[in-house]
Amino acid sequence: MCDTERVQREAQEGLSWVMEQGAAYADVRVHLDDTAESLVMYDGNLEQNETLSQQGLGVRVLWGGAWGFCGTSDLRRVHDCFARSLGNARTAAALVAIPLEMGEMPGHRSTYQSPVQVDPFSLPLNERIDLLRGLDARLREDWIQRRIVMATTQKKTVQFWNSEGTCIEKRLTNVFGTVMIMAPDKDGQMQRRSHNLYTRGSGTRGWEMITDRELFGNHVDRVKQELADLLPADVLAHGRRSVILLPGQAWLQVHETIGHPLELDRILGYELSYAGGSLVTPGDIGTLRYGSERLNVSSFGNIENSPGSFGFDDDGTPERDYLLIDRGILVNVLSSRAMVNEVNHVAGRTVVKESGGAARATTFYRTPLERMTNVNILPGTDGTVEDIVAATVDGIIVDTPTSWSIGSNREHFHFGCEIAWEVKDGRRTRVLRNPTYQGHTIEFYNALDAVGDASSWRVEQVENCGKGEPNQIMQLGHGVPVVRFDNVLSGEKG
Amino acid sequence: MLDAQTREILRDATDRARRRGIQASLLLHRERSHLLRLGNSSVSLNTTETLTRLKARVVDGCREATHTSLRELTSAQDALDTLEITVAKVREAPAREFEPILERVEEGVAQTGQYDPALAELDGTSKTEGYARIMRDIGPTPTYSGAWSSGATETYLISTATDDEAYHRCTDSQFSLVLKHPTQEWELRTDQSGWRVVDFSAERAVADIMRVLPVYQQREGIKVEPGTYTVLFGPQAMAEILGMALWTGFHGRMYEEKQGWTSHNAMGDTVFGANITVTDDPGDPDTFRYAFDLGGTKRRRYPLVERGCIAGLMYDIETAAKYKRPLTGHTTQTTSVVMDGGHGPDDALAAVVDRERVLWIPALHYMHVPSMAKGLFTGSSRFSAVVVERGKIVAPLFSSRVTESFQNLFNNLAVLAAERVSVNLSDTYGRRAPVAWSIPRYAVAEGVHITDSADSF
Ligand SMILES: [Zn+2]
Repeated sequence: MCDTERVQREAQEGLSWVMEQGAAYADVRVHLDDTAESLVMYDGNLEQNETLSQQGLGVRVLWGGAWGFCGTSDLRRVHDCFARSLGNARTAAALVAIPLEMGEMPGHRSTYQSPVQVDPFSLPLNERIDLLRGLDARLREDWIQRRIVMATTQKKTVQFWNSEGTCIEKRLTNVFGTVMIMAPDKDGQMQRRSHNLYTRGSGTRGWEMITDRELFGNHVDRVKQELADLLPADVLAHGRRSVILLPGQAWLQVHETIGHPLELDRILGYELSYAGGSLVTPGDIGTLRYGSERLNVSSFGNIENSPGSFGFDDDGTPERDYLLIDRGILVNVLSSRAMVNEVNHVAGRTVVKESGGAARATTFYRTPLERMTNVNILPGTDGTVEDIVAATVDGIIVDTPTSWSIGSNREHFHFGCEIAWEVKDGRRTRVLRNPTYQGHTIEFYNALDAVGDASSWRVEQVENCGKGEPNQIMQLGHGVPVVRFDNVLSGEKG
Repeated sequence: MLDAQTREILRDATDRARRRGIQASLLLHRERSHLLRLGNSSVSLNTTETLTRLKARVVDGCREATHTSLRELTSAQDALDTLEITVAKVREAPAREFEPILERVEEGVAQTGQYDPALAELDGTSKTEGYARIMRDIGPTPTYSGAWSSGATETYLISTATDDEAYHRCTDSQFSLVLKHPTQEWELRTDQSGWRVVDFSAERAVADIMRVLPVYQQREGIKVEPGTYTVLFGPQAMAEILGMALWTGFHGRMYEEKQGWTSHNAMGDTVFGANITVTDDPGDPDTFRYAFDLGGTKRRRYPLVERGCIAGLMYDIETAAKYKRPLTGHTTQTTSVVMDGGHGPDDALAAVVDRERVLWIPALHYMHVPSMAKGLFTGSSRFSAVVVERGKIVAPLFSSRVTESFQNLFNNLAVLAAERVSVNLSDTYGRRAPVAWSIPRYAVAEGVHITDSADSF
């Protein structure tokens, strides 16, 4: 086992050493207790019973305006990790057009802990498995061909120190859950319906979330009924109509066409070789009409119990609640410390005043980059889901993604969903299969003509957002209400 | 072979498990990875990772559990701890309705043929010089981005099922370069793949970019209206489409559970045109070659599509156990898929010289499958796409969405290049697992549906 005090002491010594070598900034993240579990009950059989425990450290050094990074699972070689990171930064500094700067932030000592009532790992494994078994039993029907119940739990302690004297310890816990069932439709093609564990935005985020029936278990019967309704349903016809997104779909719309394009590294062109660019330019911040007056979008949102709430980012910046879009106008972006000066320089004016606290790394061996925290559409004044349906002449309601394909600058998109309900003259008339819809981001959000009130607003959890090279998976959240868009192209031809 | 100390630790842990009557496997994965990232014509990240993972899997009748420790393996006790955690978990696991298959090293192997010590040691200095040279040769106007990932990986598998050990050591490199014009906003890209240092060539990267750079500099982009078009797909696009088609149509799980687009077909049914033959060939030198999969099964040449007919499905160890099928060597990310070439000339433009108008789409961005059952995929053009008329590049193409079925596409490939190229499909999300496929240099597809287009790149 590793010697915790030795690693901590050597990490502090390493920070001093790289600064003596002329580094402008350095930080180190140490993971000594980092465990994840994935349980998958597939057709009643525990097909995945996996755990991962990891230990290691990652060192980031800014030298000559360039980043070097080194991550290792070998805790015996703390100093080597600092030396390699510094060496990498020195090499990188040979080819720098725009030197990066971290700005200044006073050092602080802080802690953060996810609010948790029941630590999932404090329970015996068979108690977690029993929950899955119970849900699986409730899903079982002769006509249902596939039953999948999944629970993923994560718990990690991250120790962060930087060259400014900041020292942070974060204890983060995540619980994700999914139920999904499948059956063949009248054409013999497999249809599916599912439900993902969500949160209300306040409260705790331990194992008690997944045992909260309102958030998870009570949805089993609804999911079964909706799959049964899908099987004899007609396919959605190609055409233009209003599209109402339930929160189970609205989160992905926000994620892909607001969250990702507002990441500052994408805006500045640092993701071009992988994830892509952005339809937003630095000069657009403060001026671009992104959507209709009804569109208000925040980052973080003071949400207590989301995977996107983590106390302090991996630059050491406290999480901040601020508006990204204010009554349709783009007013801010998702940012880290090292991008603030650059965006203001490119824009020729101050468009970002301070870091948005969005520098996040998936684990110790990856470097922080601009990430979503919680990117949220704020509740509106157009009432409940049923109020919005009642005010819709010709449309569909859609829920739960099956496919997502987005343009490289997030300027256009195509989504497939599990289910649609037709709406005619203010009433749900029937269920429709294979719904898809597509659009162009700015035109689409400017056609936002109804935003539900707090009654439909909830926080959808995202377990697997991929970005960056080397690739990183991140967990985050989206608080979203029901939303309606006018004149959207939906369904496929033929 | 694996270093003697680590090998001894793992052999000893396996022997101890065997003596206790425990059915277990141990999989060691050790990587030294390096990635240099270019953004805004600067090195935006220069990163090194040294990681060791030990995965234990224990099977007890119909019960199963796995545990992975990502930490340095320094002593016999580390391996025993990982094993003990897994043994404890399996005791609590409920019995399945079917018996899991334990990893079994079918034949002892130590495969080190694709290992280049020079690539294993390649660091940021050489990569920085490579990018700097390309930037000098092309000129200062565009903004340069890219990523160059390289690394050395060791994989070692042992289980209580046999005395044999399977060992694999390789190096791999994945290079990309992206150019973006600061005001015209077009984006061009070139990629390279290989397992040796000498597989990279700055000259080749420059030449590939220069093929389309003049037309991007001189001509305005074209927006095409939705409709059907003849599309000249590049190897990256073809590999991505083929990958989605195989995932949704040729994986045993998808087929057995009637989730994919081949669900209502039988072995031997014709699903593609007669000019389509696809094989998983772990002997192909364009690919990263693995002699065994992570279940210990020897990987053999495995036909998937023969002259348009379904010839084989890929089963991982879990699906094979559940549906009682033979193991096919597909408990792995690292397949060596080879799509046979046709009779097309080496020059893609010469292949479309008699066609009025063709859209040349080298790569598709963010593909997805709106209907697995129907085999419907969608994705949009991105880098280096152009409009070609009578064999001449006439203009850059704005971002255009292709929404098509696998069946339509692979039944309407009018021309396939005779020459195949290596396409690197590795990702770096988890453990390093190099993947490259061998794909025709281009494919001319008739009647492809463009369903949306933007007025920007
Ligand atoms: Zn994402």
